[in-house]
Amino acid sequence: MSPRRDPVTTLARLAADLGVSFLPAGHQELLRSITEAARRLFEAGACSIALLTDDGAELQFITASGAGADAVTEMRIPAGQGIAGWVVMSGQAIAVDDVAQDPRFAATVAQATGYVPRSILAMPLETARRVLGVIEVLDRAEHRAATNRDMELLGVFAAQAALAIESSTVFNDLGRFLLEAWAGASTDTDLADRLRRHASTAPQPRKDMAEIAGLFYELGQSSASERRLAARVLREVLAYTRDRSTGDDD
Amino acid sequence: MSLPAWSEQFDRDRLRNVPSTLPPIITREWAWAGATGAGVRVAVVDSGVDAGHPAVGHVDGAVIVEHDPEAPSHVRFVEGAHGDVFGHGTACAGIIRSIAPDCELFSVRVLGARLTGKGHVFAAGLRWTLEHDMNVVNMSLSTGKQDYFGLFHEIADAAYFRNVMLVCAVNNVPGPSYPSEYASVFSVAAHVDKDPLHFDYNPEPPVEFGAPGVSLDVAWLDRGRLTASGNSFAAPHIAGIVALTLSKHPRLTTFEMKTVLASLADNRTAALRAG
Repeated sequence: MSPRRDPVTTLARLAADLGVSFLPAGHQELLRSITEAARRLFEAGACSIALLTDDGAELQFITASGAGADAVTEMRIPAGQGIAGWVVMSGQAIAVDDVAQDPRFAATVAQATGYVPRSILAMPLETARRVLGVIEVLDRAEHRAATNRDMELLGVFAAQAALAIESSTVFNDLGRFLLEAWAGASTDTDLADRLRRHASTAPQPRKDMAEIAGLFYELGQSSASERRLAARVLREVLAYTRDRSTGDDD
Repeated sequence: MSLPAWSEQFDRDRLRNVPSTLPPIITREWAWAGATGAGVRVAVVDSGVDAGHPAVGHVDGAVIVEHDPEAPSHVRFVEGAHGDVFGHGTACAGIIRSIAPDCELFSVRVLGARLTGKGHVFAAGLRWTLEHDMNVVNMSLSTGKQDYFGLFHEIADAAYFRNVMLVCAVNNVPGPSYPSEYASVFSVAAHVDKDPLHFDYNPEPPVEFGAPGVSLDVAWLDRGRLTASGNSFAAPHIAGIVALTLSKHPRLTTFEMKTVLASLADNRTAALRAG
């Protein structure tokens, strides 16, 4: 038997594992279309979005379009250096016209992707809750108008991307969000403080449970007869595992 | 007769005569002609400053503020010389030095390897500037995180009442931006003009001042330079002008300094010339 958990932790665990199954369809496609639209609007060489890792130490690219897109997607760079790093740390947008002059930028991103841009326009992705990451536009067309106008435009894309990312994060971190919402609604200060403490350590979805929840999500979109078949298979699997009774409940 | 609280200083017997600080007509000649920034302590709250960069010359003090879960308030202070992590703090210091060459520059490094505890590190950096008698603080960074609204508001008010002039870059991202949107700070956005002393005033807050910040040649890492744009480069122009003015008129309060800038803004004086 697993040790007794308090109800709040159990709730957070349950919500974390199930959250993924509620994720709206097309999240990744939406982000990709945002980078593609920005790239076309700015007549740019490439556009990408990188998110901070959970420990805040790295930026991980999650989508890109244009030159070097395949090489950059999934790439990680330290959040503590380079132009993108400063943007995400400072919460400020910046444009640099001669990127190669920044020795640490050239040494990280560009070398890894084989694409060395001349210019970069980078803006933080931020919500009222936290900093998410950065959106970057590389090599805007040189005939374009003043940079500050482009910054305003990119701000619109950044806001849209931040909303899309935040909404998917809500589903991933459903446990934490539930507890924070509960804390916010509570008039009891002690209870609210306890809930916030729980929220800060709320579990992430377990990988295997997230996968199962994801499968349920797909099942939800199939026909009724297919869902009945899946339910029958699942019952069989559970009956089999109960018989084996491994006791491995984690 | 007993007076309500806070009224004692206005009692006729006690009321102090306060010398006037502003002339009937404010001109740039009055504000900073012959001034060099000497005697004014300016802090750059950013990624550190490379004191050896030719654009900076030297710094008069430096502190690293970093997240430390073991330390009181989870923040640790390391005083002493340090480098620039990103290059941006050096760019800001270079701009301030170019406008107010004799000011005393202090680097307060609040940006480092990771984002953990960022809001508290920023706040601790700002508090350090208040506790170390800075006159002007350049803050080319902001947070939109709702949780920090009260924390930064309290520090910005404390700075205002001590006449520590906080010059903050606004961000371009839609949504809140602290501390730049508070009434007590000098909030700055970029305009395209290149003349370092060209600044404009916007009578519709929250962004009050516009200064150069587009395609500027700025100091950067490894004694190098970059061509860069952003509101974060506009703020140190205003910080430099504030330092220059303060070195000639050290008794100016924060709201008087705003009056001086609003009076001397290029769009104001152009309107006057046009009648």
